[in-house]
Amino acid sequence: MALETVSQEKTQRLEILSPEGCIDAAVSVDVPEPVLLDIYRKMVEIRLFDERAIKLQRQGRLGTYPQILGQEASQVIPALCLEPRDWLVPTYRGQGAYYARGMQLRYSLLYWAGDDRGVRFGQERDMIFSIPVGTHLTQVAGLAWASKLKGDGSVALTYLGDGTSSKGDFHEALTFAGQFKLPAIYVIENNHWAISVPRERQAAAKTLAQKAHGYGVFGLQVDGNDPLAVWAAATRAIARARAGQGPSVIECETYRLGHHTTADDATRYRSSAEVEAWKRKDPVPRLRRYLEKRGLWDEARENALLDQAQAMVQAEVDAYEAFPPPNPLDMFSENYERAPWPLVEQRAQLEKLLEFKADRQEVPALPPAEGRFP
Amino acid sequence: MSAANGTATRELNLVQAINEGLRQAMEADERVLILGEDVGVNGGVFRVTEGLYQKFGGERVIDTPLAELGIMGASIGLAVAGLRPVCEIQFDGFLPSVLDQVVCHLGRLRNRSRGHNTVPLVLRAPHGGLIHAPEHHSESPEAYFCHTPGIKVVVPSTPEDAKGLIIAAIKDPDPVVFFEPKLLYRAARGPVPERPYETALGKARLAREGGDISLICWGAMVHTCLKAAEELSKDGISAEVLDLRTLAPVDLESLLSTVEKTGRVVIAHEAPNMGSWAAELCALISERALLKLKAPVRRVGSWDIRMPLFRLERFYIPDAERVALAAKETLSF
Repeated sequence: MALETVSQEKTQRLEILSPEGCIDAAVSVDVPEPVLLDIYRKMVEIRLFDERAIKLQRQGRLGTYPQILGQEASQVIPALCLEPRDWLVPTYRGQGAYYARGMQLRYSLLYWAGDDRGVRFGQERDMIFSIPVGTHLTQVAGLAWASKLKGDGSVALTYLGDGTSSKGDFHEALTFAGQFKLPAIYVIENNHWAISVPRERQAAAKTLAQKAHGYGVFGLQVDGNDPLAVWAAATRAIARARAGQGPSVIECETYRLGHHTTADDATRYRSSAEVEAWKRKDPVPRLRRYLEKRGLWDEARENALLDQAQAMVQAEVDAYEAFPPPNPLDMFSENYERAPWPLVEQRAQLEKLLEFKADRQEVPALPPAEGRFP
Repeated sequence: MSAANGTATRELNLVQAINEGLRQAMEADERVLILGEDVGVNGGVFRVTEGLYQKFGGERVIDTPLAELGIMGASIGLAVAGLRPVCEIQFDGFLPSVLDQVVCHLGRLRNRSRGHNTVPLVLRAPHGGLIHAPEHHSESPEAYFCHTPGIKVVVPSTPEDAKGLIIAAIKDPDPVVFFEPKLLYRAARGPVPERPYETALGKARLAREGGDISLICWGAMVHTCLKAAEELSKDGISAEVLDLRTLAPVDLESLLSTVEKTGRVVIAHEAPNMGSWAAELCALISERALLKLKAPVRRVGSWDIRMPLFRLERFYIPDAERVALAAKETLSF
């Protein structure tokens, strides 16, 4: 019997805005002007914040911090396309996404300073990220499933990296999302490096977007440094999901211009020529050039934005540094709806120990304990 | 083979000692290979495999895709097929994802296949907290592994032991989980013989002799207990410190011998007490040496809650003060 083709999926790539800020005349761009300006403002703000956070870390005023430099478009835009009722689950490199949904950046600093009080996001449906990568992906299928079962019209949007697309969790999440036609959007921020391991080492597949097809899920690759393409892809995927047409994978091809975290040294494993080549595709100046061409932006507006953004970042840093040290008893709060006896007993032990340490001046004066206990 | 007999030593830290052990094991046996995330070109996030990719090449020091369960399962396959994989799981907090392979297969294959398939591999992972690391990077999950039949679990606390134990683990015909206390990676320094040597698995080390109370510990907590013992000595209390080195199978003879000697025991460790390896040691002591005890065995572990973010880690993981207080309470029982 002759072979016949039973399945033939094509993977498309979307790029609208060239690195020079020129638009493909064949593509209609319907991003409303206020949205365009909001995207640009948030990308600039998060970049300034990122730079400041790195400085704080270098000065010993912050713990290990994951930079998003270069990924501002793929970070900020999909989250901005959501409605408040939608679920958002970023990765640990997700301060841009949370910020787009209204998180005050002081909390991001507090979290990366090793303080649990830093977990405070902008929306009720912003879920905390997972540190063991990819473990959130099936949970997101569950969030989307609940939306479908409840029929509340909400969608769930999540992020993952190119490295995470290698994990079994990705396979299981897409299996569920495809099988139950869930309103879920999986945004792969393919930044080309999982710490020191390059994208090519993650999968023999030509694109990560094409993986979606194997699960009956819509998959699209976009130039992740092209804000217009990311916006178009995200809004379409969200609309599809909301209309009951099922899940999507959007592979945003972008680049991590910084180190993996402040604990990493990327010069050990990649060339500066590669980094320089990607700098030319930087999403921030790319969008600025486009806005200028459309007469929506100029140097005066840029300077005003930079001033405002610097002031905002400074205010957030000040607010972060004004937090008193956490009360160690806080760690016993919010472990159970009602804490069982071991916690009651152990909290009392810690309380005694803190008094002992206070007598010996080993701990500073502490604020009252926070959170629900028992 | 003892580390002490002959040949030159020099001072190394824990990272350098494990690195040298890996290198010498690879030189001695071409079946040994290393795989994991960032272990190759980057030399590991803690630099434990630094220089090995350059020396042995990408066929023996392999940067894998980011997939811990895949690393574990593939390592089992490599080992069954006759190679000697040393796989690295980058952080302790990522170990739960490999438990499917560890619990269902790693510890069982020899028995299930009635000895036909064996799994001589080493699973390396960093261990413990107190380095101001991000969330899920400061865990002490040894009990999950010790609870799994069919595998051995090792935690060194000195560079000399680390080198001897990694070589012994690689040569062992059964799977060995090798925990590396990350607090000690650079902080622990000590003389390490240049030549290859093995430190026997299943043998504890008496880190300090004493007669009044036994402090039983492993990993970074050994150094905390030594500090506590020093504090206690100022109050005229003579504490013995037993570094277990191998948690499974535990060195029963050394354990019972120190219990019989002092009759008072504090077991100090970084994991929460509930269902911990310290609990198993308590059970062993009560089953086998109850009448030698002059006081209840005391566990000093972390609280039975998740590891908090690092600003509070020093209030979560026991410090020397907590160990010394527990010792004094045990002595005044």
